[in-house]
Amino acid sequence: MAEGEFIFWCIIGVGFGITLFIKGFQSLRLKRFIETTPTSKVRSLAMGRVEICGEVVPAEKQILKSPLTGKDCVYYYYKVEELRRSNKRSYWAVIDTMKADVKFFLKDDTGAVLVEPNGASISIPADFNSQYSSFNAMPENIRTFLQSGNVKYKTLFGTTKTLRFTEFVIAPGDKLYILGYAGNNPFVEDGTAKDNVDGIMIQKGNLGKCYYIADKPEKDVLKKLKWGWIGGLFGGGALIVGGLAGIFIYFGVF
Amino acid sequence: MALGFVIIIAVIVVLFIIGFFGYFISIYNALVRLKNDIKKAWANIDVLLKQRTDELPKLIASVKGYMKHEKDTLEALTKARTDFMNAKTFKDKAAADNVISGALKTIFAVAENYPNLKANENFMQLQGRISGLENELADRREFYNDSVNTYNIRIHSFPDMIMAGMLKYKDEEMFKVAEADKQDVKVEF
Repeated sequence: MAEGEFIFWCIIGVGFGITLFIKGFQSLRLKRFIETTPTSKVRSLAMGRVEICGEVVPAEKQILKSPLTGKDCVYYYYKVEELRRSNKRSYWAVIDTMKADVKFFLKDDTGAVLVEPNGASISIPADFNSQYSSFNAMPENIRTFLQSGNVKYKTLFGTTKTLRFTEFVIAPGDKLYILGYAGNNPFVEDGTAKDNVDGIMIQKGNLGKCYYIADKPEKDVLKKLKWGWIGGLFGGGALIVGGLAGIFIYFGVF
Repeated sequence: MALGFVIIIAVIVVLFIIGFFGYFISIYNALVRLKNDIKKAWANIDVLLKQRTDELPKLIASVKGYMKHEKDTLEALTKARTDFMNAKTFKDKAAADNVISGALKTIFAVAENYPNLKANENFMQLQGRISGLENELADRREFYNDSVNTYNIRIHSFPDMIMAGMLKYKDEEMFKVAEADKQDVKVEF
């Protein structure tokens, strides 16, 4: 490894370590929020921080088509990455990405409540993850999608670039876990709500980064966050120390 | 000792202190949040209890003409309503709530014996409204007990118990259903 490259990676290590350390604390905070919030039934939701579980039901005429798989959904996020090479190293560069969502209802066995997913940290696995190149021809729908978005997928020599496609989708019928803020439903005038839950909409409110949507049960969400905060604090700390040690060695401070 | 080595040790110590205090601050915040959530959960029950209490005079007025043989139940309901409105503590309110719930259960069950009452639209509307409130109350009592249970477990678990001890946090009481309410209502046809 060249000397310039060594110091570059040490600085990156310190920067990444600090980010990881902060993320560790964020995971710990979110974990505490989830642990201390009991699950509410939709029927008896009260204003403020709430935790609910249920099934996605699209609101009337509120449905999206996911761009890569063409699925009916209420939320999608996709990214297209290109494999690039520089200085004998290869890396994935994002060349196209987009996120869209619409309001939907979350239904449990007692009722359904409107959810505004905008602003939530959404933790779901990828529904679609594929890689295409000259040796692995891309399907027609993917090619059409790239052409419609004016994404250049051919090299100067006419061969197909190596591209990776990832898409995340929340579809009707999906089971979700939501930690959110039960606030006023802006689509229902004060005093006209049919029942308690009709006047409520789950939103970001004052929760900031703790507005969280996942497709796993609470137990699995907590397990993931546990490793997130332990890994963040210890891994981040180790990277900071390691990176600094490298910098000091480079400058001969040791 | 080389300067770099000293700096590295200092960074490790600083990170450890940040991590340690950050962790304990998160425990402190969680306990304070839990304590306040219990108060909020109770306040949310209280709102529904008040709504239900407001419906009771209308219910009594609509049934007393029909239920001449249920005078004792209606009187018990009226008394429990008064007790609830005069109650100041959590315990007193919970006790009055249990009596009201039991009396309502009896009234709605014996209403089956009075076809004229069942045909009364006003009574049916009130029954629907009060039953809806009862369902919501049941959910919120469950939520309250979940909050109390989480809190009680945490203040006895390590390392949260250290912070709970410093804050002098004590066990909170759950919302208990009266023994009488666990019995089935006898309906005589």
